[in-house]
Amino acid sequence: MSRFGTLPRRLVHLVIILFGITLMTFFLLRLIPGDPALAILGSSYTHQRATALDASLGLTKPIWTQYGLFMDHMFHGNLGYSYFYNESATTVIGQHWQPTVFLVIYAAVLAAVISLPLGFLAGSRRGGIVDQSTRVFFTISFAMPAFWLGIMLLLVFSVHLHMFPIGGFGAGLAGHVYYLFLPALTIALGFSTVLIRSLRAATISTLQAEFIDTARMKGIAYAKVLRRHVFRVAVLSVVAVYGVNLAFLISGTVLVENVFSLPGLGQLLVNSVSNRDYPVVQAVALLFAVLIVLINLLTDITQAALDPRVGQEIGE
Amino acid sequence: MLRAHRLRRLSIGLIAIALGAVGCSSTSSGSTSGPAAGSKTLVIANAVRVDTLDPEANSVNESIWLDQNLYSRLLQPNPTGTGLLPDLATSWTIAPNGLTYTFHLRDAKFSNGQPLTASDVVFSIVRSRKFAGGWGFLLTPVKTITAPNAHTVVITLSQKHAPLLADLAMYAYSIVPKNLVTSQGKAFFQHPVGSGPFYVTAYHPDSEVDLAANPYFYGTKPKISKVKVLIVPNDNTRVLMLESKKADVIENPPGNLTKQIDSTPGLHVNLFPSTRVDFIQMDEHFAPFKKLLVREAVNYAIDRSALVKIAYQGDAVPGASFMPYHMQFFDSAIQPYPYDPAKAKQLLKQAGYPHGFNAFLITVSGDVAGQAEAVVLKSELAQVGINLSIQAYELLTAYAKEDGGHSQFGERYWTNDIIDPDEVATFGADSQGGANAFNSYWSSSQANKLVSQARLELNPTVRQNLYNQIQQIVYQQSPFIVTDYSPYRYGVGDWVKGFHVTPLGNYDLSLETLTVGSH
Repeated sequence: MSRFGTLPRRLVHLVIILFGITLMTFFLLRLIPGDPALAILGSSYTHQRATALDASLGLTKPIWTQYGLFMDHMFHGNLGYSYFYNESATTVIGQHWQPTVFLVIYAAVLAAVISLPLGFLAGSRRGGIVDQSTRVFFTISFAMPAFWLGIMLLLVFSVHLHMFPIGGFGAGLAGHVYYLFLPALTIALGFSTVLIRSLRAATISTLQAEFIDTARMKGIAYAKVLRRHVFRVAVLSVVAVYGVNLAFLISGTVLVENVFSLPGLGQLLVNSVSNRDYPVVQAVALLFAVLIVLINLLTDITQAALDPRVGQEIGE
Repeated sequence: MLRAHRLRRLSIGLIAIALGAVGCSSTSSGSTSGPAAGSKTLVIANAVRVDTLDPEANSVNESIWLDQNLYSRLLQPNPTGTGLLPDLATSWTIAPNGLTYTFHLRDAKFSNGQPLTASDVVFSIVRSRKFAGGWGFLLTPVKTITAPNAHTVVITLSQKHAPLLADLAMYAYSIVPKNLVTSQGKAFFQHPVGSGPFYVTAYHPDSEVDLAANPYFYGTKPKISKVKVLIVPNDNTRVLMLESKKADVIENPPGNLTKQIDSTPGLHVNLFPSTRVDFIQMDEHFAPFKKLLVREAVNYAIDRSALVKIAYQGDAVPGASFMPYHMQFFDSAIQPYPYDPAKAKQLLKQAGYPHGFNAFLITVSGDVAGQAEAVVLKSELAQVGINLSIQAYELLTAYAKEDGGHSQFGERYWTNDIIDPDEVATFGADSQGGANAFNSYWSSSQANKLVSQARLELNPTVRQNLYNQIQQIVYQQSPFIVTDYSPYRYGVGDWVKGFHVTPLGNYDLSLETLTVGSH
């Protein structure tokens, strides 16, 4: 059995999940009171104006017909036309994916850079100064809500120290790296806590394993044992944690996007739900579903690549 | 070992490619930083993204106010929102029968240098009027719109229509170039061409819109040459932008931070009277609200000055008439209901509710002032035996519940789109007007008659009298509780001189004259 033998089955799962997502978003969205006409007309809502709007948006057709049309268009690569952007939902997503994707990758890299050394150090010198101080610092940062932590970082680094801009996405790769540093850090600080704690625990339990005693008895230097034997085994257990949390990040950037004025997918989704912009919500939900399934798949593949045992278990 | 190395290299490579892909393909995205450097640029931070620059389809206030800087109309509201000024039309005549309006246009050019003619005006008005769900209903009595020559527009009516001039001064009836809109369609509004004081140089509706002074503008040449409108949805972030002088003007700083801004050297909060009327809906489908005595009792049970102090930090004005307090024909003789819980109790007893009743109040979650108001209402109404349960819903859910005829108490507000009182009277006092008298489902045949009569009456003195009568009826019948008139709030740097917002929310006139000093 190949180590990646489950791939075709997982792809079939993906199709089923996506079909479920279309059903859920399409009908749940329409169950919420309030419709696009109400969002557009606000306090100058009259039944007559709303009916005219609904007709022009195609919302007067029976709901099953609307769903059929949506599915038919979807198979032709058309996810519908936004009521508020006056553009196709795919174009709207095209205008919003960059800040979010860049932010998530950036935060994931920062989190790895922060947590791998700290988590490993904390675990290998249990009870030491690094262990104690990371425990205190990251428990506090984990407890701080992103919107508050973000504002505090802005206050210190942007308003008082003038080191970073207050918001926006910047232009070009260097611009994005500079502009998104604080938002990525805001996410990474919360994310790191989970990683550090699990890497620490994995390091401690690996250190207690018999093969480590064997390695040390063979006379290998402790530093080398730590690097070659402990770290490589311990980090494996973090991969799954990393993958699951990364999937959460994709849909969870909205608060940070709001604080740092980033026109990303999180804000787009929240605004579109508030405005009952059905086509955009459906399209973004589909996109998130695809991304989350893909990340989970990648996590499994990475684990299988790193640890032959995982692949065998899945394959059998 | 080898595998680990390869994997590491592979993962670093993948991250680099991913970041690179995002970076390379994002040359068009705008940056929302940009220091407020130089005295020639005004930086405004708004809370809400731009919905569109197409005036016929605008529904978001901030976008409407932005549009006013780009396009002109036949006429425009004056800075106090109580009268009209010439805009493209320098003068107009009304036939003695009140059915034919003739507008004489000035020599004007669009921001691309192309002359603006009467056929552009006719095209634009007809286009906006036809827009589904748009503002065409305002111009129902309009029979024909014609351009006998390049400088004249004639509008004929099937019946007299007093609000016509105010309707034409509305944002929806902004003038766009016929040839470009016809040839480009919706794409035109990505880089629109208008005849207002500014034109668009960069358009990123979710992050930043940049304007530059229109060299062909016929009016006062602005002292600033550029305007940068930033979209900063987070309230605290907007305040930080002002405090670090990255923005000159910020929209709607949170009420709890106004004191902090005012006490920061170089910054202040400006309040501008608006046409916003905050009111409490009382749906007459709920039995107690069918009785006038109960509605009156609720009016006496509410301490408006306490409410204004707690929910609006004292920035709002206690409400009396249902019409906005800074507008034509507002009746200032009407005073807010006095706070008199004893009288309220007595009225409830008379109405057959000696022990009060239970009711729910619909509020909008996330509306800080509204939530504070709900708490005040609950404690005040409890004193007269009305036991409120507060139900907070997301905005549109709340509206849908309040509109549907199954509501009880509900927090709502009104704002004008035109300066003429016909709009607010139709929505708030006319049960046939389409909005069920602000969805109270209250109905008065006398009020309905007066609203129609006032719409047909061109004499301002007679109209004032008619609107006074309408305001009196609504005040006495109290189909809803007018709680307060809340102003627009802007955080402004002291280095900005002359920023002014009209009651309709427009600031385009002030952008023609304001100055941005060094800071």
